[in-house]
Amino acid sequence: MKNDTPKVFKSIFALFVVAIFMIGLFYAFVSMPKGWGVNVNNRVSRLYILKNVRTATKWLNSGKFFAKGMKPLRAEVPYKPIKFKKTANLEDGAANVVTSIVVDYRGFDTLGEVTVLFLAASGVMMLLFGKRVKPKRKKTEPSLIMYVGTRIAFAVIFLFGIYIFVHGHLTPGGGFPGGAVIASGILGLFLGRNGYSPNHAGLKVFESLSGIAFVIIGLIGLFSVKSFLANFLPTGIIGNLYSAGFISLIYIAIGMKVGSELAAVVDSMIGDTKEEWS
Amino acid sequence: MQVFLQNWIYLIASVSLIGVGLYIVLTKENIFRIIVGLNIIESGTNLFMIAIAWHPKAVMPIYTATDHLAINGKVIAADPLPQSLVLTAIVIGLGTTALALAIGVKIFEKYGTLDVRKIKEAEK
Repeated sequence: MKNDTPKVFKSIFALFVVAIFMIGLFYAFVSMPKGWGVNVNNRVSRLYILKNVRTATKWLNSGKFFAKGMKPLRAEVPYKPIKFKKTANLEDGAANVVTSIVVDYRGFDTLGEVTVLFLAASGVMMLLFGKRVKPKRKKTEPSLIMYVGTRIAFAVIFLFGIYIFVHGHLTPGGGFPGGAVIASGILGLFLGRNGYSPNHAGLKVFESLSGIAFVIIGLIGLFSVKSFLANFLPTGIIGNLYSAGFISLIYIAIGMKVGSELAAVVDSMIGDTKEEWS
Repeated sequence: MQVFLQNWIYLIASVSLIGVGLYIVLTKENIFRIIVGLNIIESGTNLFMIAIAWHPKAVMPIYTATDHLAINGKVIAADPLPQSLVLTAIVIGLGTTALALAIGVKIFEKYGTLDVRKIKEAEK
């Protein structure tokens, strides 16, 4: 559209496009089968719910449940419920199913996601690096209560972030929310004191080391279990803190990486201090 | 009324969020507002995917809440796969938003404005 098109036309055209999109989404949602109204046994195999591919493959290969005439098995597969704090040696011992998908079954995807976040953070740092110091604005100095309060709150927030990413395989949360919580604590430090700036070299070293740790854990899986990012540790009893093999290790690496990365992004976004070429 | 809300509130909210964001992206001329609109679209999409995975009787897919993900073919836990995809999408949305804002800062430093039309005129 040209510049001289009246604003009303533009708004009406935009509303038209929006209405088409909304009706399409509504129709897509309504025509989709909902969980409670569908018998899953008619759609997916029981093996899907078993959460143990090794046993399922064994059953498949032994021909015990799949007849020779190729009758795909649904309700016939025996299904044992998973008891919290009792069932041991599952294929992936995480109580939180979302975590077991994110870190274990789709671990390579998560590695790509971490790479995307790294690229975005380094892009932000590259774009905003060496910004000129603006003429001094009059800024109110934070009060003593703010200064002390943010420092005390930082300790609590830091601990809470660590709790979130260490318990990623048991409770909702994980490496990414934990890292974001830690970065928000560092943002509080920025509010507490004018001219605060974290240790840049320390943040970069921390971030690189945790990124390398992720890849090294994947490589250990490659050499010991013959698959990249395979679970090479015993999975233990479901629900224990020391369970689920390497998931907590990877989530610790991701949490440290995301926390230091977001802290660096916050630092370059606030950009109040004079940066020097180092 | 309660049943209606339980069934449709997330769908209505997510679709209207996507609509509002799309309207902002289509009509506004300020780069900062366009980025805000893209963020609203992202939130709506995430909520839409979560709403697909959820149904009114669902529990969270964690084994503290339930011993089974499905009983007699009836799913009783929310589908965990869209939730993990949304976990990925949130993080990537954060990264792209930060990068877009940094590029916006650079544009403002060069042209002194964030209006797309004025930037286009200054280019000529």
